[in-house]
Amino acid sequence: MRAAPRRLLRRATSLSAQGEPMLWLTGGALVLALAMIAGLLVLVAWHGSSTFWPRPILRVEKVGGGALLGEVQEDETYVPEGTRTPVRRRELRTGNFEISGSHFQWISAPEVASESRPEWALVVERTNWGRFFGFPTAFEVDGKSVATDPERILEAFDAEHPAARERFEARHELETDAIGALNRRMESARLATRAVELSHPGDAERLAEARRLEDAARDELADSYRSIESRIAALNAENARREIVLTTVDGQTKKIPLAEIVRIVPSNRLSAWQRFAVYVSRWKEFLLDLPRAANSEGGVFPAIFGTVAMTMIMSLLVVPFGVLAALYLREYARPGFLVSTVRICVNNLAGVPSVVFGVFGLGFFCYLVGASIDSLLFPERLPNPTYGKGGILWASLTLALLTLPVVIVATEEALSAVPGSMREGSYACGATKWQTIQRIVLPRAMPGILTGMILAIARGAGEVAPLMLVGAVKLAPELPIDGVAPFVHPERSFMHLGFHIYDLGFQSPNSEAAKPVVFTTTLLLIGIVVLLNVTAVAVRGKLRRRFAHAQI
Amino acid sequence: MRIAERVARLAISVGGIGTILAVAGILVFLLWVVGPLFLGARVEAIGANPMARPGSTSTLVHATVEEGGLAGWSLQSDGTLQVWRADTGFPVERRKILVTDSITASAFPLQGTEAALGFGDGKILLPRIALRSEVFDETKRPDLVEQLGSASRGGVSGELFERVPGNQLRLVTLDLDLGAPIETGLSGRVRLVDLSESGERRYLCALSDAGPEDPAAKPVLLLLRVERTENLLSGEVSWATTRTQLPFEPDRERGTPTHLLLSGGGDLLYLAWDDGHLVRYDLRDADRAAAVEEVELFEDRAVLTDIRFLIGKNTLMCGDSRGRVRAWFPTKPPDARTLDGIQLTLGHSLCDGGPAITALAASQRNRVVAAGDEKGGVRLWHVTSASLLASIPPPADTAPGVARVDSVEIDPKEDGLLAIGSSWMRRWKIDLRHPEAAMASLFTRVWYEGYPRPEHVWQSTGGTADFEPKLGLVPLVFGTLKATLYSMLFAVPLALLAAIFTSQFLSPKLRSPIKSTVEMMASLPSVVLGFLAAIVVAPVAARIVPATLAAFLTVPFALLFGARLWQLLPARISLRLSGLPRIAAMTLALVGGFWFAFQAGPAIERLLFAGDLLEWLDHRRGTGFGGWIVLLLPISAIVVALGFARTVDPWLRRTSLTWERGRCARVDLLKFLAGALLCVGVAWTGARILDGLWLDPRGGILDSYVQRNAMVVGFVMGFAVVPIVYTLAEDALSSVPAHLRLASLGAGATPWQTAVRIVIPTAASGLFSAIMVGLGRAVGETMIVLMATGNTPVMSWNIFNGFRTLSANIAVELPEAVRNSTHYRTLFLAALCLFAITFFFNTIAETVRQRFRRRAFQL
Repeated sequence: MRAAPRRLLRRATSLSAQGEPMLWLTGGALVLALAMIAGLLVLVAWHGSSTFWPRPILRVEKVGGGALLGEVQEDETYVPEGTRTPVRRRELRTGNFEISGSHFQWISAPEVASESRPEWALVVERTNWGRFFGFPTAFEVDGKSVATDPERILEAFDAEHPAARERFEARHELETDAIGALNRRMESARLATRAVELSHPGDAERLAEARRLEDAARDELADSYRSIESRIAALNAENARREIVLTTVDGQTKKIPLAEIVRIVPSNRLSAWQRFAVYVSRWKEFLLDLPRAANSEGGVFPAIFGTVAMTMIMSLLVVPFGVLAALYLREYARPGFLVSTVRICVNNLAGVPSVVFGVFGLGFFCYLVGASIDSLLFPERLPNPTYGKGGILWASLTLALLTLPVVIVATEEALSAVPGSMREGSYACGATKWQTIQRIVLPRAMPGILTGMILAIARGAGEVAPLMLVGAVKLAPELPIDGVAPFVHPERSFMHLGFHIYDLGFQSPNSEAAKPVVFTTTLLLIGIVVLLNVTAVAVRGKLRRRFAHAQI
Repeated sequence: MRIAERVARLAISVGGIGTILAVAGILVFLLWVVGPLFLGARVEAIGANPMARPGSTSTLVHATVEEGGLAGWSLQSDGTLQVWRADTGFPVERRKILVTDSITASAFPLQGTEAALGFGDGKILLPRIALRSEVFDETKRPDLVEQLGSASRGGVSGELFERVPGNQLRLVTLDLDLGAPIETGLSGRVRLVDLSESGERRYLCALSDAGPEDPAAKPVLLLLRVERTENLLSGEVSWATTRTQLPFEPDRERGTPTHLLLSGGGDLLYLAWDDGHLVRYDLRDADRAAAVEEVELFEDRAVLTDIRFLIGKNTLMCGDSRGRVRAWFPTKPPDARTLDGIQLTLGHSLCDGGPAITALAASQRNRVVAAGDEKGGVRLWHVTSASLLASIPPPADTAPGVARVDSVEIDPKEDGLLAIGSSWMRRWKIDLRHPEAAMASLFTRVWYEGYPRPEHVWQSTGGTADFEPKLGLVPLVFGTLKATLYSMLFAVPLALLAAIFTSQFLSPKLRSPIKSTVEMMASLPSVVLGFLAAIVVAPVAARIVPATLAAFLTVPFALLFGARLWQLLPARISLRLSGLPRIAAMTLALVGGFWFAFQAGPAIERLLFAGDLLEWLDHRRGTGFGGWIVLLLPISAIVVALGFARTVDPWLRRTSLTWERGRCARVDLLKFLAGALLCVGVAWTGARILDGLWLDPRGGILDSYVQRNAMVVGFVMGFAVVPIVYTLAEDALSSVPAHLRLASLGAGATPWQTAVRIVIPTAASGLFSAIMVGLGRAVGETMIVLMATGNTPVMSWNIFNGFRTLSANIAVELPEAVRNSTHYRTLFLAALCLFAITFFFNTIAETVRQRFRRRAFQL
């Protein structure tokens, strides 16, 4: 054993033969690749998870007078035009969009006269206009101030706010559900008339009858409309009574009705535990609520729902067909030139850009199949398309085609990994081909098939380009599955996490204000995809272990 | 049991084959949508062809057919207006709209409500002549239904009607409003007139003889600006006229001009003579209007027979007696010889000879032109692509003089064609499909209106109605290639080197977690990468361009330098530390390289780029020297390394035979440092020489900086491409049979020698196929390029500029494209291109991989 190093010592040419410098280049490449990946994940994780943490509210007095109040969003050094010395500057999220016209303000170090963290600075999250930063001055009921002391104002707010929000929710429900139901009945009455018009052209008698029915329905619904509207008006009136009065840092006052406030956070007064509570409640809102303020605030529940629903429909479609195709190719088709060509093509299809599938989906599913369905089944709704446009069914079908090669390839590999000796054993016992496949081959190929399925889901969940063409939209308040008959609406457009990121980051009129939320959405999407991948790996490992001892 | 067996076989076969067919259906469907782009036009004669011309008493002024193709009208110079059925020529109405005068000049603009008619006494009318159509229920006019009987079309005096779907009737009636004469102040015969309409303003230009009071005086060229004002309460229309007399000298030899054309917006005026001489007036400032350019439309002694505007009133179509049809349009070349910088340029020659052209007509929808000739033939061209769409032969049995086409007209919806001769009329139904999309216009340089030269342009939508979509796919293909090239330049070396290290020098314990981590990154949603590229990487990169450029050199340098330092360690220690500690040392070298790049960034900027790289790139400061150094350094590094390998290394190997390891390592370090200095020296000298020759690297791959650029895309696309290439390459390297490696190691080769001389050559085809698959992914990547480039379809290799790829273009434009329009089909063609490109790369990869597998199996 001791001879080896000595021999190395004596060999003078060993140095260049070991190729240490080149080896370092290869090693450096690996380290760099890993660092890139780690950096990306850390960046997203950091930005994504810190969005909802209540940060201290800073009051900055400017040198030439004037002051800013807000949370520090970014901190960087830059070199101003025409100078050489770098200067530190910070981006403050100052909110108050309706007053200042922007959500953010840059302030560089030389402009700052003094900084403080006022105890009673509040950040108010509202249903519109984004956040508001200010100090509480009064709590008003019916225009009369009932509290002026900050502590009392917040107490009064805490006492009244839940009820006000409940009324707000009730009003919202009336507006969407009750009036939505009326609208649907109205629309179906109109469509019934139109259907008569189309099916019995020129039959004046039937048409008159249909028109009469439609008018009757309209009259009946008008009464319901009025009653709902009066209830809404009552709720609105009750909600308009309570307002909180806030003063901005430059002295302007602003009254905000309680119902429009989602929450008030006195960040500078909170203990670490209270901060955590705010953090959790913001996450809860993000995951479970509807978006507001042009998607830049609020939750992404419809997007999560859309992503999950679309992926589920997709996997229901892709797995059976993918497995069938793989079974056919591997077990039934006679191997030869044709089958190997088909196999190459299927493999290649996995490399065809996803946007091409989107083009196909739009042209074939939406415009050809969908339009045919419309003219056959829903002629009365034309020219408004029902199926002849992007929708969750078409999106799922498109993604099913896209992920089909993944499932076929994975299943084929799994099938071919089943040892021939096991099939032969089964045949020798008198089993038929189908029995062998059903009882011997498929169970053993299950890990591979499952892996393929999970990988397909992971790919489907992260694809955006084809969805842009076949049905993902920026805002779809109506979910594809809901409580309105027939409960599943495969023709509806839907929201998707990936598309949400694209839309918020690039199409939004206010993409700067949306940036923090986009990071969180990104974190969520990466989380889902990574989770699915890890599951795939774990499932594969577990099932492999189960069959390991049976290996022949 | 047998039944279950059969059912299973049937179900699996049907399901399996069906699935595979469905997949093949994608290609078939794409082809099916794209196909009609390349189908030719269809032309079908209507009715008796030829039929008798409705009323042929005097010269025809104008004839046209209304939108629905049911009725047409014609105006003769004696003031007779006739309405006739378009499919039979049967006249239903004949009206003498002018009692005394006869028309001496006329203009019927392509788009617009009014025509202009000039008369012998200097009067000008702006009449509205149109066929108005209304659609109503059959029940409203039972008399017409009775008239129709079982026929679908019919006509009685003054009314033409037809059945339309939904039990409705369409009734066409003449809508005529002669209007009041315009105040011109002319008293002589109006020879030529043209009218241009923009909004509520009309530009009218007329050339008239001198009045009867002074017959010897010269002709008058008059520009009138007429503003139409309508009283909102009374509905009364009044015209306010501004009158400008333009300078005009009659040409002794040529006589008076024969054609007068006023461009859209009334800023250019053309006067043309029979012999092809054309004078252009600049009217932008009416008071200082003057002739600014003279052009000969042809050099020989042909006769100009017709000259007309294409849609948009910008391009001039000229037909002559030698059968040529040519398109001229104003361009603004940098070296224009005219006063206003505009130069009339011959853009397209549609036809170079044949029977004399006698009539031209332009389409109201796009750049299609029809030409009738003296033998009675009619041809249709698309002007921009200069492609002949249809050629209709003359009727078989007509006398030579009679066959001559006096007038052609394309229907407003471009679905019909009308030709009128001295005594006959012919009608055709036409379907031009997609005239603007031909292989030539999609893939070669096209000379678009107003461009100084033929170019590749993609610009599918524009603001105005007469905008011409420019559907050149080449800029998009170029963008795709550029994105692919720059991302592969970054990703391939990184992925291959990392794969070599992982498979050959990493302990198996580390290998599997690292590999599955990287694999997982392959399914990272690309929208995430695109978002990060645009929001995080692009703004940061813009601030640290010099450091980024420096890092490409300092990082490899730091690693190579670190390796030389590592060699200084005694063999015993370096062997013991060859696991994780060595990786830690590599990481340290890497960090050092980046740190050094950031420290050196500002210095490099000062030294090479006159203090500000972005301004330097904008050509605003400095010379080309700095850029040359950056470009030459990698090349000189390779040259120096090769030079050392040829000269110094063999000598060193001989002399160092007796040296101990430490001394070898020290000499190696010195050699490396000397090489690095030499490399810088070579680059410096080269840059000095190139700069001395006044060559500038700016304008090529280095040019003005745009925040969202190819460098950012290349870097971020690396995240998408590296995992794929890495995984496949690592698979290929690991599947080299173990006995080959072991034999090599056993024969005394070091791991590095084994890797380079045994493993990599064996796995070469596998590595190649890994690169091909990565290439396929880069070609089709959509979200990253969509979000991280400016999406401008420019064609420059500048690494600091954006581009527009096929895939991003599809994602942006397809949702807006009208179904089955040319644009829609062209986007499908783009998708087909992508499909073909990726299929090509993947097939290569797959074939090579299968061969590699077989070979590895044999070994």
